[in-house]
Amino acid sequence: MPPEGTGGGWKRLLRMGKMGAGVAGSYFGYLAQMAFLDTEARQTRGREGRARVARKLRQELQALRGPVMKIGQALAMQSHALPEELIAELTQLQMRAPGMHPSLMRAQFKSALGRFPEKLFSEFEPEPFAAASLGQVHRAVTRAGHKVAVKIQYPGIREAVRHDLRLLKTALGPALLSGHFPKAALKEMEARLLEETDYVREAANMALLRQALAGLDFVRVPKSHQECSTDKVLTMSFLEGLHLDDWLARKPTREEKDRLGARLMEMFYHQLFQAKAVHADPHWGNYLFDADGGIGLVDFGCVKRLDPAYVRRFSPICLYTGRADSQQYRGLIEALFRGEGLKPSRKTLEVMSGFSHLYRRLYPPFPKDEHRPVDFSDPSLLNDFAEHCTKLLKTKGLLPELVFVSRAEVGLYNTLHRLGAKVRTSEIVRRYLARA
Amino acid sequence: MSMLRIRKNNLHRAPGRRQKNKERTREAILQAALDLFGKKGFARATTKEIARRAGVAEGTIFNYFRTKDDIALHFFRREVAHVIASFERDARLRRAPIEEKLFAVIQKQLEYLTPYRGFLGEILFQALRPASSLHPLSLESQRLNLDYLEFIRRIFETSPETSRASMLGALAPQVFLIYYLGVLLFWLHDDSPGQEATLAFLDRSLKIGLSVLRGAAHAA
Repeated sequence: MPPEGTGGGWKRLLRMGKMGAGVAGSYFGYLAQMAFLDTEARQTRGREGRARVARKLRQELQALRGPVMKIGQALAMQSHALPEELIAELTQLQMRAPGMHPSLMRAQFKSALGRFPEKLFSEFEPEPFAAASLGQVHRAVTRAGHKVAVKIQYPGIREAVRHDLRLLKTALGPALLSGHFPKAALKEMEARLLEETDYVREAANMALLRQALAGLDFVRVPKSHQECSTDKVLTMSFLEGLHLDDWLARKPTREEKDRLGARLMEMFYHQLFQAKAVHADPHWGNYLFDADGGIGLVDFGCVKRLDPAYVRRFSPICLYTGRADSQQYRGLIEALFRGEGLKPSRKTLEVMSGFSHLYRRLYPPFPKDEHRPVDFSDPSLLNDFAEHCTKLLKTKGLLPELVFVSRAEVGLYNTLHRLGAKVRTSEIVRRYLARA
Repeated sequence: MSMLRIRKNNLHRAPGRRQKNKERTREAILQAALDLFGKKGFARATTKEIARRAGVAEGTIFNYFRTKDDIALHFFRREVAHVIASFERDARLRRAPIEEKLFAVIQKQLEYLTPYRGFLGEILFQALRPASSLHPLSLESQRLNLDYLEFIRRIFETSPETSRASMLGALAPQVFLIYYLGVLLFWLHDDSPGQEATLAFLDRSLKIGLSVLRGAAHAA
């Protein structure tokens, strides 16, 4: 029998998940498989063995068809009972909703918009050309002749999410009361998950980022077509471009790759400091790259708006030239938390101070080093950063903003690593700090 | 004298035209009935009112439908005919995986019934009266069901996924009919916007049901 405490909360949750329910099924039913992992993990010796098991589990969960599962990440944030390797795997977990055959797709479309798609568009392809996290995307042409992408959500997902969040709250009951699982994180997670099932919200996010990033001429954000959109169907202008792997397959030059890297970095800091709205799930699947090195953004399910005061408190931490263990640095971190009415734990302070070393490598702070490009093809940079993020995510009393921005950062560095780009990071950041 | 002439004139009229007129009248009565059921509910609408609305004499109605229940039965007969015809017309659907075919059948049925959702529950409730021709065990109902069951059986037999004979095979159409009635009940109580919950339920339960069928086939 596993010991009580946060570990016990897990087990209860899984058992309830197994009992499953809800018309559209339960996410957590899928997590029930993890019950096996615990015994296996305990029996398997050594890091490698555990890593293997974790990877196997992630693959199995990926293969299961079920609605999007970001809960794995949030749960991983607070589960001290789980092996590290599993947490690393879980933070990457992203499942997809089941596919819809044309009959289901048309029925869902009609249920949302009142008419079949052929009646609303002048052309509409019945087979999807891309999967979305909660549904699928179809090519179409509007009556007015515009090429559009129509994203249609799989039915019943919001209800499944709500149901599972209720289960989660119940199962985590004691952990919530004791503060082991921060209520703020749960609320944040709830809001973000439900936000993702609401395409009206996504259309609003898209419009927000479209306006916010208008100043960057290399960024393209689609425009939504309100007349053909609801909370379950999103019609937006069609973006041409290739996903990262296909773009790389065309054998771009070093200059092209570096320029793209610089642009991605600029886009990130523009969002952070200027727009104060972050595309909070920048998986490289959400980018489309065109022949001119332009960047198209898709998927606006998760856009985190940042409080300007928070950004103000955050900026002195960037390009910090002092010592990481100094009173001054700690003071800056404490001020960051204090602004949200929280106090960072000793462990959190320790981990965040540890970040400072990493940031020095990523963003050489001294003006004399500023023009030296950082080589993102170096795997140690990314691994160290990801490892440190994992540590950060395990500390208690974490600011939700930090969680989202860290995730966005890891996504950015991941993409830069895959590009193998060399970027003058500090130059870019300094430019944005000056404007902020 | 004049009466003889009238009769002669009647004989000269082509039987096709008479049939067509009968059909037109039958449809007019059905449509009037559906309108009234929608306004007043199934039980409270009377045949007198239906006749008036259809523009026929009350006596005329009884030439076409013995009881109000028979009107409902005719409605369901047309539903089944419509769904079968719609299905057979769709070349792509006839080649689709069985999961989609079965989904489409039920979806088309629900689609057809949507404008009448308001009073359908009441009709089904009335159908439980033993004397009703709507009762599942009545001769009329069974005749209607036979067409449907035959249609479903054809689907199972012509689909590569299920054409191999299995223990459950002979019963599959009946099971499907019962399943459909379950979905219908679910749908009637579904107040999610656009009855989206029914779509989710239908998709998931079909997947599970078919894997059970296939499992049984392997076990046999």
